[in-house]
Amino acid sequence: MSGREAVKRAVQQVRPILSVDRDEARRRALNLYKAWYRQIPYIVNDYDIPMSVEQCREKLREEFVKHRNVTDVRVIDMLVIKGQMELKETIEIWKQKGHIMRYWKESQDPKPTDFLSKFIQGVN
Amino acid sequence: MSLTQIARNCARMAVRANGIRAITAQPQMRLLHRLVAPAMCNGVTQSILKPKSVAAQVRCYSSKLTMEDIKDRVLKVVGSYDKVTSEQLRVESHFINDLGLDSLDHVEVIMAMEDEFGFEIPDSDAEKLLRPADIIKYVADKEDVYE
Repeated sequence: MSGREAVKRAVQQVRPILSVDRDEARRRALNLYKAWYRQIPYIVNDYDIPMSVEQCREKLREEFVKHRNVTDVRVIDMLVIKGQMELKETIEIWKQKGHIMRYWKESQDPKPTDFLSKFIQGVN
Repeated sequence: MSLTQIARNCARMAVRANGIRAITAQPQMRLLHRLVAPAMCNGVTQSILKPKSVAAQVRCYSSKLTMEDIKDRVLKVVGSYDKVTSEQLRVESHFINDLGLDSLDHVEVIMAMEDEFGFEIPDSDAEKLLRPADIIKYVADKEDVYE
């Protein structure tokens, strides 16, 4: 009885967040990319960050490429929503310079890779 | 009726009259541009026009495009995109399969086209424009250019 229920639950369609298929999700993601891409010159100007427009665009691409292997439509939608929220926060200057610069993670040390530095840091 | 009220009414009338004049003036101005521009395309210089306005109007009317112009401009924009090497670029080359761009690059190319030709390309159309040939055809349709 419980086995049949489990199968039923697995087969049934999940409720979509925004997009019903992958094409739509893809379109939303590309749309978000476009919005960010167009906004970047203004962001650089408004926040007066020590980065060029090209560097920002590189970072933007990096942020998108980071999630290139996501296949679940709902996860894509969620990421797009988060991206939109972040864009809105940036445009309205609800952020500060530091929040923008955090994308570059300048204050974070890279994780050690070789044995000795791992040993010294106490990470294994 | 007090004096202030009268004054206010007069002001309102004046504003209304101005509005009407502005509306009627606009089409005339537009017509004037139409009349003047073709003459300038032929290279006829008119003494009435200042050189500053000539430049502006020629720029507006440089959109007398031909298929050749569109083709050149599209290929120039695609060629100037830094991930495309100009040797492999042809009108019929596919952005993703032949030129090795990814979907984000494709979006950037389409945005460059929007900037070049000065109109927006909606997403539903943009995803079909996968070759320079498609873009040329699309722009020609938009600008009413026929062979």
